[in-house]
Amino acid sequence: MSNTEQRRGFLKAGSIAAATGFVSNLLGGNAAAQHPILNSPSPTLPDSPTLNSEYDGFSRFKPSRGLDPDSDYYIGKLVPGFRKASDGPAPFEAPDVPKMPYKMDGGVKVFELVPMAVEQEFHPGVKMNVYGYNGSMPGPTIEVTQGDRVRIIVTNELPEDTFMHWHGFELPVQYDGAATLTQNPIKPGKTKVFEFDIHEEGTFFYHSHVAMQEAFGQVGWFIVHPKKVFGPPVDRDFGLLFQNFHIPPTHTISDSWAMDWNWHTINGKSGPYTTPLVCKHGERVRVRLLNFSPMQHHPVHLHGHTFWVTGHEGARIPKSAWVPRNNELVGVAQASCFELIANNPGDWIFHCHMVHHMMNHMVKQVGPRIRDDASVDQYLANLSSRPQVDASRSAKFDVPGYPQKMQGMEMSSDFMKAIWSRKEVRGMRANYPMSVKGLMTVLRVLPDDLYDLVMNSDQDVEKGAVFAEIVRRFGDPSKYEAAPKMMM
Amino acid sequence: MFCTAASAQMPSVDSPASAIGRTFTPPPPMPSAPYGLEQLDPSGPLFPGARIDGSDFGGTPAPVYVDGEMIAEQFSMETEVQGYRLEDFLTLAAQNNPTIRQARLQISAQTAKALQAGLYPNPTLNYIGEQIGVDVEGDKDSPGEFQGMTVTQRFVTAGKLKLSREKYMRRAHVSEHLAMAQQFRVCNDVRIHFFRALAAREIVELRKELLKTAEDSAVTARELYNQGQATRPQVRKSSIALQRARLDVLSAENHYRESFRRLVAIVGVDLTDGVVSGDLMPQGEPLSYQEAMSLVLTESPELAAARAKLAADRVTLSREQVEWVPDIVAEGGAGYNFEAKETTAAAGVSIELPVFDRNQGTIRQAQLDYRRQQEEIRRTELMLGQQMANVYQQYLTALQIATEYDRVIIPEARLAYQELLESYKANRVDWPTVLDAQMDYFDSRLTRVQHLEQVRTNEVLVRGYLLHGGLMAAPGPTPPGHIDAVAKPR
Ligand SMILES: [Cu+2]
Repeated sequence: MSNTEQRRGFLKAGSIAAATGFVSNLLGGNAAAQHPILNSPSPTLPDSPTLNSEYDGFSRFKPSRGLDPDSDYYIGKLVPGFRKASDGPAPFEAPDVPKMPYKMDGGVKVFELVPMAVEQEFHPGVKMNVYGYNGSMPGPTIEVTQGDRVRIIVTNELPEDTFMHWHGFELPVQYDGAATLTQNPIKPGKTKVFEFDIHEEGTFFYHSHVAMQEAFGQVGWFIVHPKKVFGPPVDRDFGLLFQNFHIPPTHTISDSWAMDWNWHTINGKSGPYTTPLVCKHGERVRVRLLNFSPMQHHPVHLHGHTFWVTGHEGARIPKSAWVPRNNELVGVAQASCFELIANNPGDWIFHCHMVHHMMNHMVKQVGPRIRDDASVDQYLANLSSRPQVDASRSAKFDVPGYPQKMQGMEMSSDFMKAIWSRKEVRGMRANYPMSVKGLMTVLRVLPDDLYDLVMNSDQDVEKGAVFAEIVRRFGDPSKYEAAPKMMM
Repeated sequence: MFCTAASAQMPSVDSPASAIGRTFTPPPPMPSAPYGLEQLDPSGPLFPGARIDGSDFGGTPAPVYVDGEMIAEQFSMETEVQGYRLEDFLTLAAQNNPTIRQARLQISAQTAKALQAGLYPNPTLNYIGEQIGVDVEGDKDSPGEFQGMTVTQRFVTAGKLKLSREKYMRRAHVSEHLAMAQQFRVCNDVRIHFFRALAAREIVELRKELLKTAEDSAVTARELYNQGQATRPQVRKSSIALQRARLDVLSAENHYRESFRRLVAIVGVDLTDGVVSGDLMPQGEPLSYQEAMSLVLTESPELAAARAKLAADRVTLSREQVEWVPDIVAEGGAGYNFEAKETTAAAGVSIELPVFDRNQGTIRQAQLDYRRQQEEIRRTELMLGQQMANVYQQYLTALQIATEYDRVIIPEARLAYQELLESYKANRVDWPTVLDAQMDYFDSRLTRVQHLEQVRTNEVLVRGYLLHGGLMAAPGPTPPGHIDAVAKPR
C-alpha cells in the first residue's frame, strides 16, 4: 500500500480527522476556522531530482511571477507537473461528458457513433431537447494517440439526413463530411463507415455538417495525444466545451434559428450545475477550451492565475510564441489550450466575460421581483383576480438605473440538493450556486489533504468548511466572513 | 449662399435644445383620476397623488399561510353580499307591474260585457188613454174610450242573447290569452334586464381587474424607464392606457346602474341601489331551431289569442246571422172602456218584417272579419317565424361564442397566464409578457360575459314566445274606447 493509498484509507475511515484536528473543524462546524492554527501542513515535493518548489523566483506553491520574463520559468511557463513525462499523457477529463469506448480490429481503433435526438439535463430537473450522439450532448469523447488508425461507424438515428465532419483532420477528402461537396448524406437509419490514419496531435472535434444540427448540439471532442509527450508534463488535462442555445420560456426545444442565446452550457451543463475542475496545489494544469457556440465568441477569464496559451485547435504553439493571459478570446469553432501552475489555493471562477453569458435566460428586472412585499405566489394563489399593484416607488428609484442587479433567482430545494450532491463541490461556500451561472465553472486548487477529503473520502463536509480552511491556511482568517447558510 | 446654407443648420438661439435625453428627467407622472373615480371604490383603483409617493399606501398585503398553504384571497362579490336573485324580481314584478293588473282587468271587462250582452230585455209598462174627451152617451167630454195599462214585452228569438253572451265570453277568452302574453312580456323583460344587470355587474368586476393590469403596466413602464428600457413616449402610452382603463371602469359602473334602474322600473318598485346575483351561464341543453319554432307555434299566447279571436268572430257571425230573425213584441193589458162602461182588455203583437233589411250587410262584414282573422292567425305565425329567425340567430351565435370561450379560450388564456407567471417566477420571462397574458385572460372573460348576456336575453325571447315590452299598456281583444263600449253590446 503506497503512502497515498494509506492516507486515502485513513480519510475514508475518518481516523485522520481525529489525528490532525483540522478535519474535525470541517466536520463539526467551522467556528474554529476563525482562529488561525499555526503550523498548517506545508506542501511536500515527491522525491525527484527535477522537481523544485521554486524556479527563478517562481513558486509553484504561492502566487508569484518569477524574476525574468525571458526565463523558461516565468509565470510557471515550463515548470513541470508532478507527473513524469514517461508516464505518458495525463488522462483527458471533460467533466460530465462520457468517453467513447472502442474495439481493436487488427491495428484499427473502431468507434461506433450514433447521431440522435437527446434529452440533456442543463440544470437539475431541466431537461432540454437537443441533438447529440450516443445519448449524450455533447457527444462522447473520442480519445486516440497520434499515429492511430481509426474506423468510425456512423449510424444515423435521426429522422433526417446528417453529415459527419472530423474537424481539423487532414484526412482523405472522401471522409471529410462536407455536405454533398464530398459525399452523399447519411440517410435516416443508414450507416456510413469512415476510416483514416491520424498523423496530427491536438484538440479536435467531430460535428454534424448540417448547420442547424450543429446549433442544436451535435458536437463532440476528438482528442489526439501526441505520440511523444510534450514537455513540460501536465498533471491535469481538462476539457471545457462551450455551447449556446435559445430555449423560449416554458419550452424545452432550442430554437436553432435564434440570433439571441439564453442558455449557455459547459459540457452540456449550465452554471451552477457545471462541475468544478478540481486539482491539487502545485500541479501543472491544462484546460482545453472549445467554443462550439453557433454565433458567439467568448472572452474566457480565469481568476487568481495567469495562464499560458500553449496551443489552439490546429497544433501546439512553439514555446517561443506562447502568451501569458488572464483572458483569452475563443472564437466560434476555436479551441485554446491554457496551461498554468496551480499555485494559488482556492475556488477560482472560470467564466466567459460577456455579461449576457454570465447568466441564463436573462430577463428584464421589472415587476413583482423588484417591488416591496410583492411575490409571484400571490398572483398564482388566485388567477381570477390579481392583487392590487403597489405603485409607491421607494427611494431606491431616485437612482437612475436602479436596479441593475439581477434578482429573484428561484432555486428549489431539489435543485440545491442536486447541486450539492456532487463530490467536486464539497466544502465550497454555501452561496456558491448564487454566483456561478451561465458560462461559468470553478477551478478548485486544493492542498493534498483537502483534495483527498473532497474527492476521495466519504465524509460529510460542511458547506464552506474547505474554503474556510484554505483561508485559514493561506489567507487572512480574522477578516473572513462565512457565507450565510440560509436555505443553501 | 454658403452662409445661408450653413446658418440653416445651426441651432437657433431662440429655441434652446430640448432637455429630453440629455440629462436625467424623471418619468412622466401618472395621470390624475377622472371625475367620479374616487366616488366609486375608494379601496380599489390607484389614485395618483394619493399613493404615488407611497406615503399613505400600505402596500400589497403579504400572503396568508395556514399550515404551509397559502390562503387565496376572496374577491368574488357573491360571497360578500347576498344580492337580489331573479326569483325575487319575478315575484315583485308579479305583484307590482301595472300592466299585469291591466291585463286582468281587460278580462273582467269582457266578462262584464258578456253579462250585459246576455241580459233579457225588460218589459215595458204602458199607460194608455185613448180618445180622451170623446162624447159618449150620457157624458160629454168623457175620460176617453179606453183608459188602462198594458205591458209590452219583447220576446227575443233565435237565441240572440245567448249568442251575444257567448261572443263576449269568447272575447274574454281572448283577453285571457292576452293577459298570459302580458305576463310573459313582463317576466321576459324582468329576465332580460336582470341578465343585463348581472352581466353589467360582472363586467364592472372585470373592468376593475383590467384597470389593475393597466396600473401595473403604468408602474412597469416607469420601472423600465428607470433602467433605460422604455422611452418617454412609451411611458406616456402607458398613461393613456391607464386613463382609458379608468374610463372603462366608469362606463361599466354607469352602465350597471342604468341596467339596475331599468330592471327596477319594470318590476314596478322603488329600489334605489342594489346588487344582483346569479349565474349567467345557461343550465340545460341548448334549444334547436326546430324546437324553438314548434314551441312558439304550439304555445305562443299571441297565437292562442288570435285563434280564440277567430272563435269569437265565428260567434259574431252566428250572432249577426240571426239578427234579422224578428223578435216578437207582445203587448197586453186591461183598462176601462168609458164608452162601453166596462173593463176591457188590450192585446197586440208586432213583428218586424225583414223585407229590406235582413242584416245582410253586417253578416257579410262579419264573414269578412272572420276570414280576415284567419289570415291574422297566419300573419301572426309568419311574424313570429320572422322574429324567431333573427332572435334565434343571435341566440345561437352568442351561445356558440360564449360556449367556446368557456370551454377553450378562457381555460387556454388562464393556462397561458399561469405558465407565464410560473416562468416569471423561474426567472425566464419578462413581466410585461406576463401582463400581456393577464390582460388577454381578463379580456377574454369580459368577452365571454358580453356574449353570455346576448345568450341569456335571446334565450329568454326564444323560450318566452318572443314576448317583450313589459311596460307597454296591456292590449285588449279590441282597441280601448271601441264603440263596443256602449251600454248594450251585441
Ligand atoms: Cu461568452
